[in-house]
Amino acid sequence: MPDTFSYFIAAYITAGVLYAGYVVLLWWRSRR
Amino acid sequence: MTSTPQPNSRPVLFDWFFAIAVAAVAAAVVRILNFTPYEANQGAAQKIYYLHISAAMGAYIALGIVAVMSVVYLWLRDKRADLLAESAAEVGLLFTTVVLTTGPFWAKPIWGAWWTGDARQNLTLFLWFLVAAYLVLRGVVDDETMRGRYSAVLGILAALNIPFIHMSVYMFRTMHPMPILLKPSAPSLPSEMLITLLMAIAAFSLFCVALIRARYRIAVSAQHA
Repeated sequence: MPDTFSYFIAAYITAGVLYAGYVVLLWWRSRR
Repeated sequence: MTSTPQPNSRPVLFDWFFAIAVAAVAAAVVRILNFTPYEANQGAAQKIYYLHISAAMGAYIALGIVAVMSVVYLWLRDKRADLLAESAAEVGLLFTTVVLTTGPFWAKPIWGAWWTGDARQNLTLFLWFLVAAYLVLRGVVDDETMRGRYSAVLGILAALNIPFIHMSVYMFRTMHPMPILLKPSAPSLPSEMLITLLMAIAAFSLFCVALIRARYRIAVSAQHA
């Protein structure tokens, strides 16, 4: 089995940052 | 006919529906990480599929809402439809961004290149630019009626790309994997992986709707600020 674990982790971190960042953006907008 | 959205006293974002959506996403990620086997040929990179495909489904849902609400707005001139289309477009851009960023993390180890100019990649990038243009257009047109009409037309045109993106693997010579679920024949995955994929799609679709709902509440609140 090829070692592709770093790509897997990088993809999940990237998606997590994007989703969580948007939730924070919505929260910030709701408080203005 | 012009309807005015009912204002909320304050936009409530993190309600029961949002909590259920986040819990569903967390459960799906736990199942992906701990309770789904690795694919023998691709290793851990195959698990990017669950994130990538569910984000694509979320983008399809969000941009489908943009198209339907745009038609409703052009037909009824209902302001609520315009605000819902705007909210769905923003969330659709988020999910399309996730599709475009997670794909290359799979492509690099499996294809040997981050970006190959594949038909489906290019069409998805084109869709991203159209949705971004939709949101930019809404920001630069001051007149509310003109903004609603122009952006509704662009929203419909952008969503018309989705069938081409889905069918692009049949229409063009492409390296992109064929559909696993949305195809005439049975799903081509072992049952453990198929259950995980269906769970991820359901969870992220719910999350997509929760985000659109929260964003719509902010838009309605801003109208009456």
